[in-house]
Amino acid sequence: MIKLENIEKVYQTKTIETLALNQINVEIKKGEFLSIMGPSGCGKSTLLNIMGLLDEPSKGNITIDDEPITNYSDKKLAAFRNKTLGFIFQSFHLINDLSVVDNVELPLLYRTSSAKERRKLAEEALEKVGLSNRMKHFPTQLSGGQKQRVAIARAIVGRPRIILADEPTGNLDSVMGNEIMNILTQLNEKDGATVVMVTHDEQMAKRTHRLVRLFDGSQVF
Amino acid sequence: MIKHLFKLIWNQKRKSFLLITEIFFSFMVLFAVLSLMVKYIQNYSKPMGFEYENVWVVNLDNLTETETDSLGTPFHQAREFIASFPEVEAVSFASQNLPFAASTHNSSVKYGNISSMAHIYTVEDTYPKTMNLQMSKGRWFNKTDQGTKYQPIVITEQLSQNLFGNENPIGKIIKADTTHKVVGVVASYKDKGDFTDPVAGIFFPISAGKDYKSNILVKVKPGTGAIFEAKLFKGLGGLLRGWNVEIEHLTDKKANQNKVVFIPMTVLLIVCTFLIFNVSLGLFGILWQNINQRKGEIGLRRAIGATEKDISKQFIGEVMVIATFALIIGLFFAVQFPLLHVFDLAADIYLIAMLISVIVIYLLVMVCAFNPSRQAASIQPAMALHEE
Repeated sequence: MIKLENIEKVYQTKTIETLALNQINVEIKKGEFLSIMGPSGCGKSTLLNIMGLLDEPSKGNITIDDEPITNYSDKKLAAFRNKTLGFIFQSFHLINDLSVVDNVELPLLYRTSSAKERRKLAEEALEKVGLSNRMKHFPTQLSGGQKQRVAIARAIVGRPRIILADEPTGNLDSVMGNEIMNILTQLNEKDGATVVMVTHDEQMAKRTHRLVRLFDGSQVF
Repeated sequence: MIKHLFKLIWNQKRKSFLLITEIFFSFMVLFAVLSLMVKYIQNYSKPMGFEYENVWVVNLDNLTETETDSLGTPFHQAREFIASFPEVEAVSFASQNLPFAASTHNSSVKYGNISSMAHIYTVEDTYPKTMNLQMSKGRWFNKTDQGTKYQPIVITEQLSQNLFGNENPIGKIIKADTTHKVVGVVASYKDKGDFTDPVAGIFFPISAGKDYKSNILVKVKPGTGAIFEAKLFKGLGGLLRGWNVEIEHLTDKKANQNKVVFIPMTVLLIVCTFLIFNVSLGLFGILWQNINQRKGEIGLRRAIGATEKDISKQFIGEVMVIATFALIIGLFFAVQFPLLHVFDLAADIYLIAMLISVIVIYLLVMVCAFNPSRQAASIQPAMALHEE
């Protein structure tokens, strides 16, 4: 489904060149739940960003559903992200000036859909993560776990095939972390979503189908 | 998306309050300045009603004698002397409130129960020829009017409208100091410069040989210049010994009168431009700060499907929504001016000023938001999400 071949990422300043990823080869199959592990600064988030087409590799090829995504225009990339990918971040990235339901509706604003349809889908997504009673609340009125559930609802509202989660339990205690992990597992098992999760937590990683380890930008086998 | 932007800004109303206030005040100042400018431009486009080129003013001032009766002869001699030159086309005595002069003479006039303030001018029957006045109805008074029951007068179109509306004013009797009969109407009369309103006025006749004034309007042939002016000045000096003689040109007097409007208008425009420049700088600063504070949101929006263009549109849209809130408040106050007749300006002037102010404010915020929004659009999503 997602195939990364010989991926390299170099960050360059005037004086320093940093190799963030070196010769990464990963293939993620449909319906798979994969975790990426490694110490801080090893390039996990960079790899996830490249998978999510938020960043370009310095070298290598990305193929999604056997289609190389090189030479995609900004518009095509954006449409692809909108329809195929769902993002979950460690720091939630909720917009505090919008209510929970409005935050969840956000991805639908970038596609053609009616207000009524958007609201219906957002309500369904919130119900799925158990937050249908918090729709009119604002993010500042929620706990960390609730915020992450809103972020998950936002990631799944557009029914993407792939969910990319960057340390989704990183800012949460173990109870909340487990709850979030349960939701992700459910999305993978029941809804058939492909999930790629970056994590520090061995316990969480053990609950996924497969583990990719990184160290200093390189894959560890 | 528009609903989303309104919702976002409405929920941020406390944060946006200062910006809304700033835009509101800019709108009000712009509206005030533009109302004046629209009025001046409208007046400028209206006909003057007379010709002032090649018209000179000869001011005669007896330094010792003030009795009008004893001055009658020298005034008459001066008039005849001026009229005797082939360069002179027409001559008319006129009261001190002659075109583009600083002095005015007002009085209340009545027709039945309707009254109106009117400028009072006293001139000779040669005045229309001297000034090439445009008559819209009737005729100018002349020698045949002498001895009639009512003193004949000519009024301006503005006064005709004030007193008679759409009725024909010819033959109507109006009351000023005594009763007077309207024999003619002057199409337009803007005697205080290009930017002023056409006045409501009455022209009273000067009785020949009597009641002469110390100002003589002289219409000279085109091309008549300084040589003739010097000759006239010297001749009058010799004729009226001990008198002070001064020759002015109506074109110069008009330029001076225009300055009375033009200078304050320029000062107002400079103040307004300065204010708007400050608002622009403020807007610019706030937008830069906004973008820096919202990098995470920019990254998120890119991640969930926004293109660079969407981000750019979003930031411009937000400022436009803020401007819309400010303009709604501004327009609420602005419409009170024509509704309550706060100043003596026509409603269409206010409406034009409102429309231009709204366009200027929208353009201003768009220009200010353009660069910061492009900057926001160019932020790499991965970088933005990481920085948050």
